[in-house]
Amino acid sequence: MNRVELVRWAAWAPDIATQEEWQAWARAPRPIVGSGSPEVRFLPGLQRRRCDALSRTMLEVAHGCCPEPLLSEVACVFATRHGPFSTTVAMLQDLATGSPLSPARFTHSVHNAPAGLFSIWAHNPRASSSLAGGAETFAHGFLEAAALLHREPERPVLFVTADESPPEPFDSIADPGAGAYGVALLLEIGDGGGALEFSLRQAPGVLTPLAWPDALEFLRWWITGEERLILGRGTRAWTWTRRD
Amino acid sequence: MVNALGSSLDEIWPRLVAGDQSRLRLRDDLVPGQALRFGEVAGELAAIPTALAAYACRANRLGLSAYTGIRDSVESSKARFGAARIGVVVGSSTGGIAEAQAALAQWSRSGSMPESFRLVQLEFGGMAEFLAGIAGLEGPRYTLSTACSASAKALVSARTLLELDVCDAVVAGGVDTLCGLTANGFVALQAVAKDLTNPMSRNRSGITLGEGAALFLVMRERGGVQLLGAGESSDAHHMSAPDPEGKGAEACMRAALADAGLEPGAIAYVNLHGTGTPQNDATESAALERVFGRPIPCSSTKPLVGHALGASGALEAGICWMMLRRRDGARIAAPPHRWDGVRDPDLPPLALVPEATWIHAPPPAAIMSNSFGFGGSNCSVILAEEPE
Repeated sequence: MNRVELVRWAAWAPDIATQEEWQAWARAPRPIVGSGSPEVRFLPGLQRRRCDALSRTMLEVAHGCCPEPLLSEVACVFATRHGPFSTTVAMLQDLATGSPLSPARFTHSVHNAPAGLFSIWAHNPRASSSLAGGAETFAHGFLEAAALLHREPERPVLFVTADESPPEPFDSIADPGAGAYGVALLLEIGDGGGALEFSLRQAPGVLTPLAWPDALEFLRWWITGEERLILGRGTRAWTWTRRD
Repeated sequence: MVNALGSSLDEIWPRLVAGDQSRLRLRDDLVPGQALRFGEVAGELAAIPTALAAYACRANRLGLSAYTGIRDSVESSKARFGAARIGVVVGSSTGGIAEAQAALAQWSRSGSMPESFRLVQLEFGGMAEFLAGIAGLEGPRYTLSTACSASAKALVSARTLLELDVCDAVVAGGVDTLCGLTANGFVALQAVAKDLTNPMSRNRSGITLGEGAALFLVMRERGGVQLLGAGESSDAHHMSAPDPEGKGAEACMRAALADAGLEPGAIAYVNLHGTGTPQNDATESAALERVFGRPIPCSSTKPLVGHALGASGALEAGICWMMLRRRDGARIAAPPHRWDGVRDPDLPPLALVPEATWIHAPPPAAIMSNSFGFGGSNCSVILAEEPE
């Protein structure tokens, strides 16, 4: 059982952006449709041009969630199931046609490109993780954020999770309900209003509905004030319980 | 462990201490029109069992080959703790991208992807899922992908999962394969060595790519080889070039020392990130000088196995593990630093390990391994052997 405090959150989807819109979505949730990415107007022009759709989404929610003075001080976890998917596919297409790769595109195709771009923009020298955990990417990212908080408990951890809508031809074999989205959570060791407990139990047969990403199911749970959330795959039941 | 030098520790170790570079061979099929040297894993790889056919890619075959070396320990841990209490954390930067490249090429030609291709081969998370499936483990399973620091960071995350009491044991390490994407990408960045990688030389011109897999079973037990300390940092400078002052490299080495509770004088040897690019070697050597204040015995093992990117942190931690386990009393054998011997006057003096060197390092002397990646993601780990 690990106790953390959720201090702030931010989220983005193609047709949902403001906190009010997310409150409304949480009361009447529906699958996320569409692709696209946020405008990230706060980024300087050159940095904005270097960001692909995934990096724009991750930086948008990171910026929306993390208060300015903490931007350069938080340790970060970036969790994404598919990483910079369209950038990767564009390069695979270049390879298929025998075209030389663009060095800039190659550099920004790594799974930790959003983490690198965030650290450069925010002048943040602290530890940062980037990971993937299949259908359980959200829960594993939350676990890694708890791990980072355990290693460095003095300051908050910014947990950012997002995915693009899978590009052609891989969209045909991706899980259903894979629209673009991004969520950021600012977590710290604390016992205030946002305290929650997080644990991993064994409970065969628990299955998370796939209508929207786990990260958004977490957000729906948090906004609506329900006591307990269980997200399950296989025999793993990831469990969050409110303690405020 | 599996890499260009062999498929078992007993095969790899003698070639490592002999400084055998003969396994970095020319290949002309990865980059159009260029024959370059690569550290390819030779020989037959383990076959993917039918039940896990969805995960059939070269990366997972390398992972399975490495897993056979720790299978017995994992089985006895499973009997002791239960499958639910054992996790998998691996690091990778390529995953099954080679198979995705082939799938996309076929789709471009014919409009359909190969029957055998599954998205989980391209997903990094698939690698941890596959290993959990092979080992019959039910605990957390995820893949870190922070470029070249990924599998060093996997060891750090594994240790934290034990501290958080989420797991009682963790299979941790890294896997990466040679593929067209990284080969052509590094060529595009003009970061590939003309012939063999030549770290720390005035004539260095880039990396030689390699591949491999190394897996550990990380447990709480005292005795044996201990992960004594780890440090992490971000350069916050540039996506593909290190901070020229090496502040990120310095910060993560200092953080690892602080985490281990050691003074710099307690470190007997450093396994360098030592990629052979002009920038890495300049920043790493400058950071070493500031942290240690003396030429510390060190070598890069990338001229022997190649740069296996996301797997390099685990492969090199594995080399450090072997150095400690195969000590001769107060002495440890260090792999030689293979290069052309031409010192770069712009780098600080370095104690690069020459041929067949024994280092005086009575237990509990510690050794360090550095991993610095794209995006400015850095990780240093410190290993030491504790008498059982």
